[in-house]
Parts: sequence; structure tokens; C-alpha cells
Amino acid sequence: MIQDHKHLSHDEASAFIDGELSASAALDLEQHLTTCHSCTMLIVSAMQLKAATARAYERVVAPPEALSRLAAQLRPDAAKRPARVSFGLWAWGALAASVILVASFIGWRQTRQSNNLAAELLDQHLAVLSSGAPPEVISSDRHTVKPWFQGRLPFSFNLPEVLPDGTTLNGGDLTYLHGQPAALLLFNIGKHRASVFLIQRSRNGSASVSSGSQSGFVIQYAKTQDLGITAVSDVNPSDLALLMSALVEAQSPR
Amino acid sequence: MRVPASSVLFEQLALPLLPALYSHAFWLSRNHAEAEDIVQETIAKALRAFSSFQTGTNFKAWIFRILRNTFLTSRTGIAASRTVFLEDLADLLEVTDTNPSPEDHLLRLNNQAALTEALERLHPQLREVLLLCEVEELKYKEIAIVLDIPVGTVMSRISRARRTLYEDLRQQLGGSV
Ligand SMILES: [Zn+2]
Repeated sequence: MIQDHKHLSHDEASAFIDGELSASAALDLEQHLTTCHSCTMLIVSAMQLKAATARAYERVVAPPEALSRLAAQLRPDAAKRPARVSFGLWAWGALAASVILVASFIGWRQTRQSNNLAAELLDQHLAVLSSGAPPEVISSDRHTVKPWFQGRLPFSFNLPEVLPDGTTLNGGDLTYLHGQPAALLLFNIGKHRASVFLIQRSRNGSASVSSGSQSGFVIQYAKTQDLGITAVSDVNPSDLALLMSALVEAQSPR
Repeated sequence: MRVPASSVLFEQLALPLLPALYSHAFWLSRNHAEAEDIVQETIAKALRAFSSFQTGTNFKAWIFRILRNTFLTSRTGIAASRTVFLEDLADLLEVTDTNPSPEDHLLRLNNQAALTEALERLHPQLREVLLLCEVEELKYKEIAIVLDIPVGTVMSRISRARRTLYEDLRQQLGGSV
């Protein structure tokens, strides 16, 4: 032990392991630790205790119905949205994991005022994530999903025979975008969720793809001859682009 | 669908926090029905007070504070607050730290049951501060907002909680490694 360094107090040890000391105080403390066995043991044991406490105290998982009721309370306009009653735990897991959602919300508010369609898309994507309701048709089988939409939509579309690695189809739902009926397809790309909206487009203009990023979400658009395809996700853009090109590819006449 | 921007923002901020709010309410009340009631009342209060919330400040700390105050006025909370105030217990809680040998600091922490028991015995106010720190991973200054106490008190309370746990474990496990 060096004379002019006193041993650290329990308060300091706690603050240190919680990352709450100022940079200079932390540096002093680290220097003291290089020479003081006793304080090093104190820190090691405090870190062990912290880790063990975090394991013992885990977040209590709320019953899905309770979360459903509470979520409904957040939106007085819920009745005007498509009814999504039951909660699936899968969506809450995804939601809890996506800290990025929280970080991006404030920026999103500005976005939604300037870009109505994007706002509507993102609202729907978030509604799916947060409601946790299973989609109307739950299937990873394109042979089940596609026929389900037949007769429900004034247009048809194709699903890719093979999806990119790590991407799975979770199901689909009917939705409305700007008052037009649309197909909503739900995918998982790794641990991320992606909502893909397919809507009929007038037969003018050529096929194209574009993309943008808003408030931490990636929004990619593609036009085929008949369809407008829009994908919303917080996944990395290149992974979303792979899915988009598979979808675009599937629409081209063979 | 035209709703005021503020209620849209509120929903967007609060929705991702519902699992955390529920969990914390449960830890405080130890009862699922009560936890839901507390979160429900918290949401109602927070919605009414949302205009006073400054965008850019910490929403999670703000709403956790409302949750905590809601709990304190709940049935269980009133009962809990009848217990002696923590600061009055300082002497009792002061850990007899008579210069242990370095190795005395290390405990067998693989005994999860012992730790769970020690956590159960922890004073509710010490448990609360540990939950905010370890489970909700709030920063000390956020915890200070939630509990309405100075940051220095947060630090000493967390440290005291850990020392109390540590002493309890040492007694349960019969000494150190
Ligand atoms: Zn030392």
C-alpha cells in the first residue's frame, strides 16, 4: 500500500463497480488496486455479489393479459385500430430486448409529422410488436400464407421459394395503408422483426428500390410492376435488403 | 386517427416500459393483482402529469418515480412505510467491519438459496434501491430522481444494501472461503 493512498471505502467500491465514479477518481482507484491486495479483494467480492444479486433478482414476467390491459390503457384511440386482443409472449420478449425502440421514439415524433406514410407504416410495425397479437394467419409456409390472402385482397402477390439465411416468415395479416387494403407479412431476421407491407400500385413507372433510415428504423421501399413493397425493421439495412430483393424477385413473371 | 402529439409520444415512451414497471411494482408489492393496479394508476397519473414532463429528460426515472409514489400510497405501501425509516436504522445496519483479512472479502456466492434468503431479509428500502440498480440498471442520478433523495444517499444506500447482504451471507455460510 502506498502511504498517500487510503484504502477505499465501501461506498467508493460500490460506486466503482456500478461505473459511477468520475474518470479521474476511477483512475486513482485503479492505481491503488495495482498495489493493494486487500482493496482488490474487496472489489472482486463486490463484483461477485453484484452479479449474483442480478441473477437472483430477475425481472418478474407480467401475465400477458395484464400487459394487454395496461397497453390498452395507453391508447385511448385503441378502438379505431385493428383489434388485437391477445398477447403473445414472443412479442414482449422482442420488445423488452429492443432498447433501440425507446431511444428512437423522440426522434420519431418529428418524423411522423413530416412523413405520413412512413409514420403509418412505423405505427403499424410498432403496433404489431407491442400488441403481441399473433397474426391472422400464423404460418411459416408460403403455401399457407399466400392462399389466405386470396379473395381478401384485390391483388395477388408471390412469396419467395427460398428466404435469405436467418430469415423466417411468421405469418401475415390484412391491413390498410392510406385507406387501401394491404398485405402485412411478418418476418424474423435473426432476432429482429420486420414488417413488410404489400400494396397494389397503379401500372405506371418502372420497378425501383429505395431505402431510408428513420429514428433507428430502416424503411425500404421497392416497386414492382404491380406492387409497392415496403419493409420496416430495426435490423441492419443489408439484411433487410436481402429480404426485399427476394420479395421483388418473386414478383417477376416467370 | 388524429390524436394529440403528446398522447402519441406518451404511448411511445411508456409502452416499452410496461414490463419493467410491472416487474418493479410486483417486487414492491409482492402481489400480481396489486402490481397491475399500481401500474394502472401510475399510467393514469403519468398521463395527467405528462405535460409537466420535459422532453429530453429521463422518462424512465420520471415514471418510476410516479410508480413508487403510487406504491407508497397503496395498501401495501402504507404498511411498509410504517416501518422505521431507513436512516434511523443506520446504527443497526452499520456493518461491523473490523478490518477483515483480504480473503475474508470473498464469499461463496454459488449458494443461490442463501442469497435469495438474504435478499428476502433485506430491509425493503435497501431491496428497492438494489432492484433499481441491478434489475432496472438505472444510474445513481436516475435512482435519486425515483427515490427523491440525493445522489450521495443513493450511493451509501446501495453500498449499505450490499454490506448487509454480505454480512448475512457470511453468517449463513459460516465464514469465508
Ligand atoms: Zn487498499
